[in-house]
Amino acid sequence: MRRASGKGEMMTDKLILYKEHLNSFLRKITKGFELIAPVRNTYGDTLFEVISSVDDVRIDLTNRPILSPKRFFMPQVETLFAYRYDKSGYTFKDAADSTPRVIFGLRSCDTRGILFYDLIFQEGLKDKYYLDRRKDTILINLGCNQPGENCFCKSAQSGPFLTYGYDIQLTDLGDRFFVEIGRPRGRELLAGWSYFFRPATQTDIDAQYEVVLESESKFRHRLDFDAAIEKLINQEVDPAVWEELGNRCQNCGGCAYVCPTCYCFNIFDSPGSGKEGERLRTWDACTFAGFSRLAGGYNPRQDKAQRIKRRFYHKLFYDKQKYNIPSCVGCGRCADICFGRIDMLSFIRLISEQRERTHESAHRRLGELLLEAGLISRKDLDSAIEKQAATGKPLGAQLIEMGMADKEAIARALGYQLKIPGTTETIED
Amino acid sequence: MSNNIYLPHIAVIKDIKEETGDIKTFTLAFKDRKLKKSFSFRPGQFMMVSVFQAGEVPISISSSPTQPGNLQLSIKKAGSLTGKIHGHKVGDEIGLRGPYGRSFPVERLIGKNLLFVAGGIGLAPLRSLINYALDKRAEFGRVTILHGARTPSDIPFRHELSRWPKERDVKVLVTVDRPDSKWRGNVGPVTTLWNKADLSGQDTLAIICGPPVMISFVVMDLLKMGFSEDDIISTLERHMKCGVGKCGHCSIGHQLTCVDGPVFTYREMKELPTDL
Repeated sequence: MRRASGKGEMMTDKLILYKEHLNSFLRKITKGFELIAPVRNTYGDTLFEVISSVDDVRIDLTNRPILSPKRFFMPQVETLFAYRYDKSGYTFKDAADSTPRVIFGLRSCDTRGILFYDLIFQEGLKDKYYLDRRKDTILINLGCNQPGENCFCKSAQSGPFLTYGYDIQLTDLGDRFFVEIGRPRGRELLAGWSYFFRPATQTDIDAQYEVVLESESKFRHRLDFDAAIEKLINQEVDPAVWEELGNRCQNCGGCAYVCPTCYCFNIFDSPGSGKEGERLRTWDACTFAGFSRLAGGYNPRQDKAQRIKRRFYHKLFYDKQKYNIPSCVGCGRCADICFGRIDMLSFIRLISEQRERTHESAHRRLGELLLEAGLISRKDLDSAIEKQAATGKPLGAQLIEMGMADKEAIARALGYQLKIPGTTETIED
Repeated sequence: MSNNIYLPHIAVIKDIKEETGDIKTFTLAFKDRKLKKSFSFRPGQFMMVSVFQAGEVPISISSSPTQPGNLQLSIKKAGSLTGKIHGHKVGDEIGLRGPYGRSFPVERLIGKNLLFVAGGIGLAPLRSLINYALDKRAEFGRVTILHGARTPSDIPFRHELSRWPKERDVKVLVTVDRPDSKWRGNVGPVTTLWNKADLSGQDTLAIICGPPVMISFVVMDLLKMGFSEDDIISTLERHMKCGVGKCGHCSIGHQLTCVDGPVFTYREMKELPTDL
């Protein structure tokens, strides 16, 4: 076993940890902390898990975990408090908890997601449940040498390596990790087991720099966030795009659930037996139909298209306006999970490619498309256009009203026309 | 008590007044003596009301802070939770968090004539400010109150609607959509009361609360009459879960109704997108 040469003094912020010492280091962490790290399970999925025994699991630092670690700060279902009623009245049992934890192997996107959560839950009145869990958690980031297929953190300016926000950051240099200390508690953690580390040399620093450069050149996707945000601000997204995205959305909430920055939640009571119960909170998603619905039935975001529009405006424009950074960290998980391809990656690509196209001309071409696809006849189209001149309705709506085409056919044709990935292939098949 | 913003405080129902078939006013007192003493709010703010085993719902405070020890919530039976509140009796306990939200800009209203326009239960949050203004009568000019209800039996706060006009320079006009055989008053939307209300002269601020469609018609008319966008103030209703700017439910554009509102001037409302 290789011996680290550092002798207990950790003066520098740049260190080296040999890979053969990693498990021993993690084993030490489990003595004083709850350790969370990406683990590859028997189904082949990599997920962040609480690890009690380092030797009993397969820690996976190659694949980006399929879920963000946000559930460790705000569980998908969480008891806020329990209550009980007896002759002296109500008593509450506050369920907030705090455990000293280390999350090891966070990707830069995930660490940035946690930093975004920090903004939300610290702002204004403080959220005790989140902050209690957060305050004793040490974040060990792992820079990405190899961006994943749908990753675009470089475009989102949140990776592949971090320049701030981590307690400790590791870079894989092959046989060893380059270790950067970002915050005092990161230093404290390492100081406890300094014999695992040696100070980094200039050769290590150069090697790390090279890895960063190499990684940055490997991204498949380059998205222009600023241009996309500009389009949203200037209302330049064709209304037909929102319609189409609305038609393609299956209301599953998957995008919000896998997103490291989506934080919206619901609160409700779970009645127990007799005079006791619990108040819970669960993750929620703005694409769900009931998200904004009022008790009287009025829903300011009645249509799916409005809800999708809301989602992208919130993440790209409103959060940028409020926090000076859009709440997309480029992890690409929404692109992995959304079978309707209404994910951030597809959306930004779609509106970036979308040329100046007026609503009207888009719909004129819709007629031609339906005609080409044999979904309507020339006669039908002509009479719909004629009627449309009188009613002023969009051509699609006019065709549906006249019973000449169904909603799905129009959605597919629109998708084709707007070059929404997926639809194109479907129609060409 | 606790630094946990989600834990409610227990309040006892001291009185229940049946306003209409589906609106009741609950008078509440905090169980905790210290809190009962220290609790303060401003007209236009709301409380998160807990019905244990059912959940929470935001409700505007309908009483005025000028009448201390008299915290009132006027609640319309609109869904399952408000239905459960209606089943409560005097002496029952509920949970309260708050007060939350941006109130009416009371300081800005001082010295002005006030025009209140309310539709249905929308009179509840305005009642807080109306009683506030009447309790500090010397600080405000002429007060005009217009209220529209579905039918004569849907008019809440009847006692006050007949008491208010007895005060100096106060005018109250009520209209209904569907009259009954005994109704001798105005019939039609609240905007049909304009010519009966004396809105001449300047320096009037309009404070509106009601269903979205009513708000838009009232605002349209007020702008035509020459009201400036800053002098039209309204409160917006949105679905709220946390009430403190975290859960995201009450968002409109980049604003959150619970912390940036619920009170907005029309100029501010106009900036908010309608579908986002």
